Amino acid sequence: MTTTNCSTGRTPHRLFRFVATILTLTLGASLLAACGSDGGNPLSEKAAAIVSSGSNTDGKVDCADGRGKMVTIYSGRTEYLIGPILDAFACESGIDIRVRWGNSTDLAVLIGEEGKATEADVFLSRSPGPVGFLEGLGLLGTIDGAVLDLVEPQNRASSGAWIGFSGRKRVLVRNLDMVTDADLPTSVFDLTDERYRGRVALPATNGSFEDWFTVFRDQHGDEVATQWLHDMVDNDAEYYPNNRAIVEAAGRGEIDMGLVNHYYQYQEAAAAGDKHRAENHDFGHTDIGSLLIITAATVLETAEDYDAANELIAYLLSPQAQSYFTNKTFEYPLSAGVAPNPILPALTALEIGSVDFDTLGGGFEETERIIRESGILAG
Amino acid sequence: MEFSPANQDPDSGIATPQRRTVFNHRQAPRPVTAAALVVGILFAFPALYLVWRTITGDGDPIDLLSSARTLEPLRRSVVLAALVSASTAVLGTTLAWLTARTDLPGRRLWRILLPLPLAYPTFVGAAAFIRTLNPGGLANDLFQAIGIDRTPELRGLFGAWLALTLFTYPYVYLPVAARLRNLPGSLEESARILGNSGFTTFRRVVLPQTTSAISAGALLVALYTISDFGAVQLMRYDTLTRAIWTTRLADQPTSFALSVILLALAALVVAAERIGNRRRSGQRPARSTTSRPLTVPLGRWRVGGLALVFITLGLALVAPAAALADWGITGLIRDATGGRPLVINASDVIGPAWNTVWISVVAAGAAVLAVLPTAALIGRYRSRVGPTTGNIITSTFAMPGLLIALAMFFWTLRSGWAADHLRGTIFVLVFAYVVRFGAQALGAAHVAVAAVPDRLHDSARVLGAGPLRRLATVDAPIISPGLLAGGGLVLLSTMKELPITLLVAPFDFPTLTTKIFQSFEDAFVAEAGLLAMVLVALSGLLTWFLVIRRAHQLD
Repeated sequence: MTTTNCSTGRTPHRLFRFVATILTLTLGASLLAACGSDGGNPLSEKAAAIVSSGSNTDGKVDCADGRGKMVTIYSGRTEYLIGPILDAFACESGIDIRVRWGNSTDLAVLIGEEGKATEADVFLSRSPGPVGFLEGLGLLGTIDGAVLDLVEPQNRASSGAWIGFSGRKRVLVRNLDMVTDADLPTSVFDLTDERYRGRVALPATNGSFEDWFTVFRDQHGDEVATQWLHDMVDNDAEYYPNNRAIVEAAGRGEIDMGLVNHYYQYQEAAAAGDKHRAENHDFGHTDIGSLLIITAATVLETAEDYDAANELIAYLLSPQAQSYFTNKTFEYPLSAGVAPNPILPALTALEIGSVDFDTLGGGFEETERIIRESGILAG
Repeated sequence: MEFSPANQDPDSGIATPQRRTVFNHRQAPRPVTAAALVVGILFAFPALYLVWRTITGDGDPIDLLSSARTLEPLRRSVVLAALVSASTAVLGTTLAWLTARTDLPGRRLWRILLPLPLAYPTFVGAAAFIRTLNPGGLANDLFQAIGIDRTPELRGLFGAWLALTLFTYPYVYLPVAARLRNLPGSLEESARILGNSGFTTFRRVVLPQTTSAISAGALLVALYTISDFGAVQLMRYDTLTRAIWTTRLADQPTSFALSVILLALAALVVAAERIGNRRRSGQRPARSTTSRPLTVPLGRWRVGGLALVFITLGLALVAPAAALADWGITGLIRDATGGRPLVINASDVIGPAWNTVWISVVAAGAAVLAVLPTAALIGRYRSRVGPTTGNIITSTFAMPGLLIALAMFFWTLRSGWAADHLRGTIFVLVFAYVVRFGAQALGAAHVAVAAVPDRLHDSARVLGAGPLRRLATVDAPIISPGLLAGGGLVLLSTMKELPITLLVAPFDFPTLTTKIFQSFEDAFVAEAGLLAMVLVALSGLLTWFLVIRRAHQLD
């Protein structure tokens, strides 16, 4: 402690240097990142493309005048995929938007915690489950009938509380080197067979898997569905935290195949190219394994401006937004007569018309219990 | 990252309360006690929220404790926390000793590099490990080049243990290195002269003197491990945090009850460390009166020492950095050569980077101020309030960010007038960060406060200086470097925080981690790599700055 005094006079200087350095570093990083900046157009190129594809002007985007309205969105879809559409909406409608991005389930839990005091006007979910949770809490309002009519009845809640705005198909992703064409199953029920022992991955805690399993229970009955899951566990099915991890693991041969949403495959292939040794396999026809899971939009009961919220949801179902979904993010369009991207597996009878997503909200808790008790997570 | 001040800090950067260091029995000033109490209550908010939710919900923690569904994840959390704290204790202490006490070649460079792995968020670090093993990943290419076809799988207990050990050992390394620098080399020299071997000297002289620093660091590691979700989720190891996470929507009563169990576990760990420390409190660390460090010649052990440093840095620093750079550069090349274009541009980096840095600096400053009263009580006065609020602050470090975020909403919405003025503002975000990471500032702050010699205060008083004047002229200069050190740890943690930032931040307040999260969510790996590189570089530069400052003063 003999040296305690010597720094007395230097400390302010040091603190100053500390602060100064932080500022310098940030500024430096900003300048570094600023190289190649495209100049500060408030509307991104992607958003502008959506706007102009709707209005068909020659590249020049004129946004509508502000109307002094604001919609607050909690979005479980990521900014990369849906941000341009929301920006295009703000531009075309003149309605301001603000967005809280996050995981669909976390955001639903958050809205549940906020209750009637939530700031959210619109909630966009990756799958219907979290929306069903909020409907159970009585926090959802009713979407306008005219908007609801934009999609087929099976792709919206009969209560009018939520509506699907794009679709993702369940498929089997497989490693090309380890699973030959002859080795491919034709149904999810084949996967409990001995020859698939230890070769199949399930994203058992993932929202879209849980939703899929809820529909599975609804279609085939609890007994069949639960038995299937137990058989999968007995057949040494591997648990993975999410779809993307499975697609990635199949791409590098860590796992032979797995049940996933179709569209991660396109992202992985685009990023890794030929080194990604995986491909989607469509069970096809009427198998539950090729179900179409829809993403869901909803208006909160406490929304400040119902009309503006409905306008936003209608925009998600407009031709320009729907063709963006299918051509840019490889999802299935649900309205406006937009044709699916030709690279996507064809939709079959099951997806169109036979599944009522209303079962999802109520069946969610039971699904979670069955999955946890199956022992799949312990692996 | 020698965060702690140069010559005036007599102790480690992070340390536990040392009850016997207080020789004055003065009564703590009322305002300090009151402030500490208020802060203690604020830090207890998340715990109170969980207890409230559990009482008013259907969940029953006691009942859950008897079900295998709970016991298995609980057991895994305990095993993982024990393994990670043990391995970080050994690794951190060894590295601290090697760089502080031996003639290891390049030790001045290692002192700068060894704390840097703290800059990686575990979800980025773990993802980097996993993806590097992918086809197209660096490690995979390397393995293929030397003819190994199948690359090792990283998962489960081993994967989680490895990732957490590599990214948290600096919590032990930093305080132990600081303690070693302040230990008089003369004791060890005497031991050697008396004929003890190097190892015996280490065991008999060095270890007892550094134990409290090691256990304080290992405590932070254990609590961090209990709270971690990123690494265990990616490595697929089903711990308590994962059970809480899985049930958070479908079965909230269970989720909250499990959270209460997690909190009880954290409190137990803190209590155990405190009791262990009290037992050892007879061993007061000696303090150096000279700044001349002892240098132990490593001789033939040099190679081994260097190998350990190389392996640690290779796995914890270089490998993830290489993976991130690989993704980022691949993406840039792809973008430039007409492949899939990058979905981010410069403005997606600048704004978030600026937000990340300034909110972290503010949170660090606020955290230091918040823990100061408690630190003062522990370091200078006999008061029950000090250790009690200290334990609350420390235990809260085990709380997963999601729960803290929910607790913030719960309390803000019930705060009456504050609900209208505070919600959705930067204040709530900073408050959440402070509650989450205050524990990291507490150790350093308490040590810094304890370092103020009473005789200086007495002299100042005799010379007629009032309390405020004494605070400004006696206390502030001596404690501010220590506070800076504690603040530095909070700063780094805040920069890489994810769940609180996602849910509590004001609208349109993107940070680097929220951008990285979004990139990973939809497999935009190149973008994630670029953003993570910026994050790690910014953290690294801040760390580097603090180290350079310290190293300069050492010589």
